[in-house]
Amino acid sequence: MRLSGSATVPAAPQRVFELLLDPAVLSRCLPGCQGLERIGEDEYRMRMKAMIGAISGAFDGTVRLTDRQFPESFRMAVEGAGRAGFVKGEGLLKLTEKDGGTEVAYDGELQAGGMIASVGQRLLDTTARMMIRRFFTRLSEEAGRRQRRLNGREQNP
Amino acid sequence: MIAENFEYAAPSTLEEALELLADPEAKALAGGMSLIPLMKLRLAAPGRLVDLRRVQELKTIRRNGGALHIGALASHSEIESSPAVRSRCPLLAETASHIGDLQVRNMGTIGGSIAHNDPAADYPAALLALEAQVKIAGQGTERVVGLEELLVDAMVTALEPGELITEVIVPVDGEATGTSYQKMRQPASGFAIVGVAARVTKSNGKIGRARIGVTGLGPTGFRARKAEELLEGSSGSEEEIRRAAAAAAEGVEANSDLHASAEYRRHLAAVYTARAVRAALARAS
Repeated sequence: MRLSGSATVPAAPQRVFELLLDPAVLSRCLPGCQGLERIGEDEYRMRMKAMIGAISGAFDGTVRLTDRQFPESFRMAVEGAGRAGFVKGEGLLKLTEKDGGTEVAYDGELQAGGMIASVGQRLLDTTARMMIRRFFTRLSEEAGRRQRRLNGREQNP
Repeated sequence: MIAENFEYAAPSTLEEALELLADPEAKALAGGMSLIPLMKLRLAAPGRLVDLRRVQELKTIRRNGGALHIGALASHSEIESSPAVRSRCPLLAETASHIGDLQVRNMGTIGGSIAHNDPAADYPAALLALEAQVKIAGQGTERVVGLEELLVDAMVTALEPGELITEVIVPVDGEATGTSYQKMRQPASGFAIVGVAARVTKSNGKIGRARIGVTGLGPTGFRARKAEELLEGSSGSEEEIRRAAAAAAEGVEANSDLHASAEYRRHLAAVYTARAVRAALARAS
């Protein structure tokens, strides 16, 4: 299934790029992420507990970042498997400045297999979009927090 | 498949049920039409089920002034066949009759369906068009929220942990009001690919008030406000209905799956909005 769309984050592209590549930030923003551990250059191991209404499932997987073009774009590949099935996705994220903030456009493919795909097909697209929305909401909060911290530092040198 | 092990409790009062639900491992079981299949597939594994079926106070349907109070544990078939609902709030009875199949309607409950908030469930369309309110109880707390506020996102509601829906409050139809629920049904599951509920009130030969609830199209049910605005004050001519219906999907990120693409769903939203409005107008006299 194709996933594309965009979200706006209230910070400059350089800062948003840094946030998106910071494992500590990612682990706070990815819905259900229970740990992100660096296992190589731009490669992380991730443990995730997805909770969507009554449905819950643990996934173990990896996140890999490639084609880094600071501060404009990078590719992200995610793979995860758990008892409920597997998900695999790959896509391009593009950052452009827009009204003092950053528009992050994403375009990628997501595949799912196993139980979640066979019984949850009807809900896959909707829930994938919901998780992306939540991710960007939290990323915007992170950007706001970081900005306030920076402002605070400037005022009290 | 067989569900993972769980504890089971069957309280007989609301107070007991709320006490048991304060445990974060506990999950309320109403009709079980969504939760049990998920547990059997092991996509859900609550540590304890709190079966609500013995809680009689959650099953009553009563009229109180200008509103019907429907207990959260009323089944779809009870709502479909209740004389009070059929005569005072026919939209809800009509919608209940479209849910799943007979077995699902005999077991499934209105509170359970709302709490699960499946993006393709039938009730949200009708309840949004009715501007329904939901009574929610927690341990020592009680609050009433509008349905729109309750439905947050796909399978996500504004219910806090340990809270339970106890009652759904819908207005009794007034004079010159007509309603209708129209849906494109997914033949295997019975879920709505798109479903639209319309409630219109005529005044001085025009449409005085229009309320339109849509399900199946977006991540959660919603009110098609643009379409409502276009209808209100109009005479309800075929052209005006079509123009309003074309606005029903405006601003919504449409769902897409094996059964229907996002584009097709948008098209269906316009077709079914027009059908629901036409049928509601014909009944408003």
